[in-house]
Amino acid sequence: MRANVWSGRNTVQVENVPDPKILNERDAIVKITSTAICGSDLHLYDGYIPTMKKGDILGHEFMGEVVETGKGVSNLKEGDRVVVPFPIACGNCWACRHELFSVCENSNPNSGLAEKMFGHSTCGIFGYSHLTGGYAGGQAEYARVPFADVGPIKVEDDLTDEQVLFLSDIFPTGYMGAEFCEITGGECIAVFGAGPVGQFAIASAVMLGAERVIAIDHVDYRLEMARNKAGATDTINFDEDPDVVEQLKVLTGGRGPDAVIDAVGMESVSGHAPLQAIERVKQASRQETDRGAALRDAILACRPGGIVSVIGVYGGLMDKFPMGALMNKGLSIKTGQCHVHRYMKPLYEHVKQGHIDPSFVVTHRLDLGEAPNGFETFKHKQDECVKVVLKP
Amino acid sequence: MGSRTAITVNRPEDEIRRMWQDPAFRPEYIGEVDAAVTFRDAPGDRGTEIHVALPREAPRNKLGEVVQKVAGSASLAKVKDELYRFKQLVETGEVARSEGSPEGERAERKLKQRPAQPLKESELEKAGV
Repeated sequence: MRANVWSGRNTVQVENVPDPKILNERDAIVKITSTAICGSDLHLYDGYIPTMKKGDILGHEFMGEVVETGKGVSNLKEGDRVVVPFPIACGNCWACRHELFSVCENSNPNSGLAEKMFGHSTCGIFGYSHLTGGYAGGQAEYARVPFADVGPIKVEDDLTDEQVLFLSDIFPTGYMGAEFCEITGGECIAVFGAGPVGQFAIASAVMLGAERVIAIDHVDYRLEMARNKAGATDTINFDEDPDVVEQLKVLTGGRGPDAVIDAVGMESVSGHAPLQAIERVKQASRQETDRGAALRDAILACRPGGIVSVIGVYGGLMDKFPMGALMNKGLSIKTGQCHVHRYMKPLYEHVKQGHIDPSFVVTHRLDLGEAPNGFETFKHKQDECVKVVLKP
Repeated sequence: MGSRTAITVNRPEDEIRRMWQDPAFRPEYIGEVDAAVTFRDAPGDRGTEIHVALPREAPRNKLGEVVQKVAGSASLAKVKDELYRFKQLVETGEVARSEGSPEGERAERKLKQRPAQPLKESELEKAGV
């Protein structure tokens, strides 16, 4: 089959590889009909996540048709149309029983590597380095789905691929980011990053009842999407004025947002050129793995007693973390890779009821063979790119 | 602390004790090295803690100390693998396999990962599929 593989920093290529086979009884094989490039794939592409290996198939946002099931999978059958959640979770361990699927205790066969890095292992993830298991990803014609009796959700309604594909990651991830904010109605929420996850965080905050949602980015067309499609009430472009904290204060009458969402992660950009330069050098020379401009601003901007919700992906260590602001203002920080399994069914219902049409983020539709172009276009934000969907 | 490890398995103690003896689950290596294994009810209804302490023989000289350090750490890694595989088998019914680590968790595999792409026919049997 054809698959998009990582072959070094800033390089992916579409290659012929063997078709996947069932390796365990709870596996299924899915023939992929739609698959997407995620912002977090760019961290791999840019070479900031360790333990990548030449030839690794990328991709953790995919859906398709079940073509084979192992003996232990009785809830799916050949021909079922499914969306696959990006975390691989067993459904049996203590974490899964408590709906903490992204920290499943059993799905990472490289748990020893993860323990060295994070103290504990986290779940396996499709196509996302060997630290999260070394699983082949979904930017391919077929994928093997472990624990298929727990993860995939069946799509039985007349919805297009693009309407349900993002249940695999970015919609639940954005939603969890908004849910962390404990919105009860009337809040001001600031969302750092108007990429695909940021768009869904904004849309979810609106859905949950926030009164004012402020999007922060430095790419105008993304801020426009945030305003016109996701429902942001205000936007800040930090290229125009780098003092995001002050602008947020003004927009919230001096109070600061009730909660802030970091939908940026480890490769954030600062509007302050000298700070940006220092952090880029530190990251490139591996003195820190995580650049932190967005998270720092988020913490400084958040109102005392507020909530800092971190759904952007970080990989290791960050310098100059404003612990003093976090502590003295009495902020709570909530974070995590999304427990996608927890949100798939309820969010599927929202899509079915027409409360939201997640396809609004799609700007590029390419053949799988064009994946390398897709990565470049997405990375450099060319051609007003927000989200790339690949068709195998 | 270098020769001790522990894991928690989400099952009651009597069940764990039974499965520990069952040939389908029993960790072989831990039995072979004559490690001290103790079971303890985990607090808060979380199942059972399994504690393993590796036997430690007094090294005869400096060289022996070095050898034990190297060999000892290797065997602890093996014990950890076996405990994790036991937990996976008991809780999920299988040992998680990825394309990068097709045999499941193995200390030897950590630094010698396959690329994360499907196995060739010839590799399947080797991986015990």
